[in-house]
Amino acid sequence: MFLELAQALSGSPLSIWIQSHLWVTPLLQSIHIVMIGVVFVAILMITLRVLGKVGNEETFATVWHRFSPWMWAGIGVMALTGLVLGIAEPVRETSAFSFWLKMSFIVIGIVSALAFGRALRPLAYVGDAQQFSGGAKAVAAGTVVLWLCIIFLGRAIAYDVEVWGSLHLGPVESSLR
Amino acid sequence: MDLAAFAQWVHDTALSDWLRHSLKAMPIIEAIHVMAAATVFGTILVVDLRLLGWPGVQRSFSKLHHELVHWTWFAFAAAVVTGVLLFVVNSVTYYGNTAFRLKMLALLLAGVNMFVFERVTGRNPAAWDRGPTPSAARIAGALSITIWLSVLFIARWIGFTKGYDFSIPDDVNLDLNFGQ
Repeated sequence: MFLELAQALSGSPLSIWIQSHLWVTPLLQSIHIVMIGVVFVAILMITLRVLGKVGNEETFATVWHRFSPWMWAGIGVMALTGLVLGIAEPVRETSAFSFWLKMSFIVIGIVSALAFGRALRPLAYVGDAQQFSGGAKAVAAGTVVLWLCIIFLGRAIAYDVEVWGSLHLGPVESSLR
Repeated sequence: MDLAAFAQWVHDTALSDWLRHSLKAMPIIEAIHVMAAATVFGTILVVDLRLLGWPGVQRSFSKLHHELVHWTWFAFAAAVVTGVLLFVVNSVTYYGNTAFRLKMLALLLAGVNMFVFERVTGRNPAAWDRGPTPSAARIAGALSITIWLSVLFIARWIGFTKGYDFSIPDDVNLDLNFGQ
């Protein structure tokens, strides 16, 4: 079903316009990568505060309020640029196992960030990390690992056959990009 | 040995040959390069925004700098190692690629900007550690953000301009029309 939809989308005016203007894809990918830096480091800073490695003179709520708007704004821009990049090459994206795994991980990442912020934001902890439970630290560290996996999967879309072999959802081919 | 001959020598090494024929090495190296570049840019952005005083100047600059500088250098080292491996794979093509040369120039400019800031403006931050930053520090921060954004944008352009200079393994069936 997705493949038929993707094939129909690849013939849409917007898709054809992007494909015929060769500067659009690298520009959107560049913005996408800049936003990866913004989102990943915002998550890293929040995590390091939970682990007691940075900003211990400030409350968790202060650190959360400083970095979470960057995280959400960055995710918004990434979703937008990712959507347009997907419209530009819908068959390539939807036939990649990496793409679907990436989307699943992003959903988990967003839900966990929402739950994490809601659970810990009211805590006005100042000082070392001992005040956070082992579970909170494990979830925070796990979130960083999850976003590293998301970055890997984003790059792996271009090498889907090489990385996943028979799990690739389209014809066995290599895009080498 | 001139640079072109050096690029050819690198291309002819066993490591280069192995990387070109290893289908799994490239996505792993490229992904780590993206992770490292994102971390370098993001951590530098946090410090640069503090220099610009946005959104505020309440946090101690020297403490913030001290907390993040290890992460920046660790990620930069990872970016250099993976970047060298990416160069080894396609050294002859990279050597002749304008975008690649511009990226190296931008990295040099970023280094000069950082060196000048560390040696001059940032040498004694006590006077402005918890307050508004001097003009020179704000200029260094703005320049740093601009240069590192340039590095990321130019870097992505390399992938669209370099082409490929190696043969495709026989057992790989390529669709060079990209599914069209």
